[in-house]
Amino acid sequence: MSAPLVDLRAVTKSYTRGTREVVALREVSLQIEEGESVAVTGPSGSGKSTLLSIVGCLDRPTAGEYRLGGAAVAALGDEQLSRLRNRSIGFVFQAFHLIPQLTVAENVETPLLYAGMAPGRWRTRALSCLERVGLLPRADHRPSELSGGEAQRAAIARALVTEPRLVLADEPTGNLDSATGEEIARLLEGLHRDGRTVVLVTHNDALAARAQRTVRLRDGRMES
Amino acid sequence: MSPRVLLRLGVRSLLVHKLRSVLSILGVVFGVAAVTAVSAVGEGARREAVAQIGSLGIDTLTVRARPAGSGAAAGGRAAVGLRLADAEAVRAVVPHLLAAAPVREAALAAEAGGRTTQAGVVGTTAAYREAASLRLASGRFLTDVDLGDRKRVAVLGSTVASALFPFEPPVGQRLLVGGDWYDVVGVVEGRAAPRGRPGPIRTRDVNRAVFVPLPSLDRGGDGGADSIDEIVLRVDDADRVGASAEVARRVVQRTTGGAPVDVVVPREILRQKERTQRIFNVVTGAIAAISLLVGGIGIMNIMLASVAERTREVGIRRAVGASRRDIAAQFLVESSLLTSAGGVLGALLGVAGSLAIQALAGWPTALSAGMLLVGLVVALAVGIGFGWYPAWQAARLEPMEALRSE
Repeated sequence: MSAPLVDLRAVTKSYTRGTREVVALREVSLQIEEGESVAVTGPSGSGKSTLLSIVGCLDRPTAGEYRLGGAAVAALGDEQLSRLRNRSIGFVFQAFHLIPQLTVAENVETPLLYAGMAPGRWRTRALSCLERVGLLPRADHRPSELSGGEAQRAAIARALVTEPRLVLADEPTGNLDSATGEEIARLLEGLHRDGRTVVLVTHNDALAARAQRTVRLRDGRMES
Repeated sequence: MSPRVLLRLGVRSLLVHKLRSVLSILGVVFGVAAVTAVSAVGEGARREAVAQIGSLGIDTLTVRARPAGSGAAAGGRAAVGLRLADAEAVRAVVPHLLAAAPVREAALAAEAGGRTTQAGVVGTTAAYREAASLRLASGRFLTDVDLGDRKRVAVLGSTVASALFPFEPPVGQRLLVGGDWYDVVGVVEGRAAPRGRPGPIRTRDVNRAVFVPLPSLDRGGDGGADSIDEIVLRVDDADRVGASAEVARRVVQRTTGGAPVDVVVPREILRQKERTQRIFNVVTGAIAAISLLVGGIGIMNIMLASVAERTREVGIRRAVGASRRDIAAQFLVESSLLTSAGGVLGALLGVAGSLAIQALAGWPTALSAGMLLVGLVVALAVGIGFGWYPAWQAARLEPMEALRSE
């Protein structure tokens, strides 16, 4: 059997806040197979988001080893890590994180700037992703003109535009009412059905229950 | 990212803040404009001086009596500085001479056929033609026979010729100068006259001159028939002009018994002018450097503000795959675009300014493509130089912290 897509071994992450040392993750070991859907739950401050940022190569572990798709992340330089984020990982954030000065379509195109794709093909690709999330009529609007659910759909379209294997969602429904939250949850389930690996951070137990597997964190440690 | 994508991104984000972008480049605009205009004026002045001195000839020198009453003119020969005998002595002693011509001059009205014009009447010898490198448009110059016989003949400068004889060939006509009739025997070819302000040295405008035999121009009263105003000399090698000037000065000093005379050497004036020009260039360069420094600090300031304001955008771009280098390139391209635009605007403003100076103040200006290019390259360098630090600030942001920022 092939190596797991995500392979964390005894990963520890600590920060220095002023003079105080804060440990966000303590020796977390987690394997996620290609095609799995995993929910990470736990109370606020339990290290969920830190775990996700390490899995997403936005942050590096203080100690321990992380392999993504068989490659040791610690050995990769900034250029290679950036390429990995660009090609293999799609992020969906609680606060949507769209660039306010750009239109919805331009926001969705942003990852393609760094993918080395010819500019002539950006728009077609962006529009097809917007169509998949049902946001085609809003392509030329600004993020400020969108509702919360629409903004999150735009963010999902952006996460999909480079066809990544791994989609990471950090509290994707946290800023939404339950009806729109349900829409987003369905979209994410759709991504999993398409064969993508989906890792979801949430403290919504109903949402977590829809994943194949749930991982609970408390004070930076995994509860099994 | 390809340069095209970077440029597109840069233009896109500068257009988001149009007013801010325009205001931020004003320092660079005025810096480049000032440099362009000031160096155009400097270059114009230099070219004018070179043209004026060039028309005198860098292989010539002039021994000139100081006007009475100036300098140490209290001696016995105050009114009469130079005499014909001095010219003879100079010709006999000074080495490497091609020609030496004594000159006596007077500003008189010249009239012919009912027309009148003001002329600089130059009484001289046949050698003047060689000494001043004159070329004839028609007729002949003065000859030794004209001088020996004190003939009343005249050779006209081109302006005088066309003013007095607009419709007929001047040679063979007669004109009245200072109460005496003269036959026109020749016309001197026109020379491009220096425009505008009086030049760095007093030059004779050959176009407005009327050349007559020295003995014929008798000013009467002031010192007798052998007093002269100048000796015009030309040497066979421009490099020897300084040495010859020194010999001429000593000869004249001895023969006149210490009369106050000036020895004017155009070549040395040209050299001095070039030294002055170099100082001017250094000062201009220093002002340019200061204004571009100020402009650059303005750019750095605005870019730092932009990075702070767009921290979250940096985080988003990092999350979707931008490397540190991509982020740095994005901000560097923005600052370079800003200052390049400033350079272009400044160059245009500078060109407009120098044209305005020329039109309003009457100073000659000269623009060169090289100067404009230097201005643009410097503007671009300012953008890269002062944009580097803000770009680095943006590139070193940690993605997660950038995303969390407000």
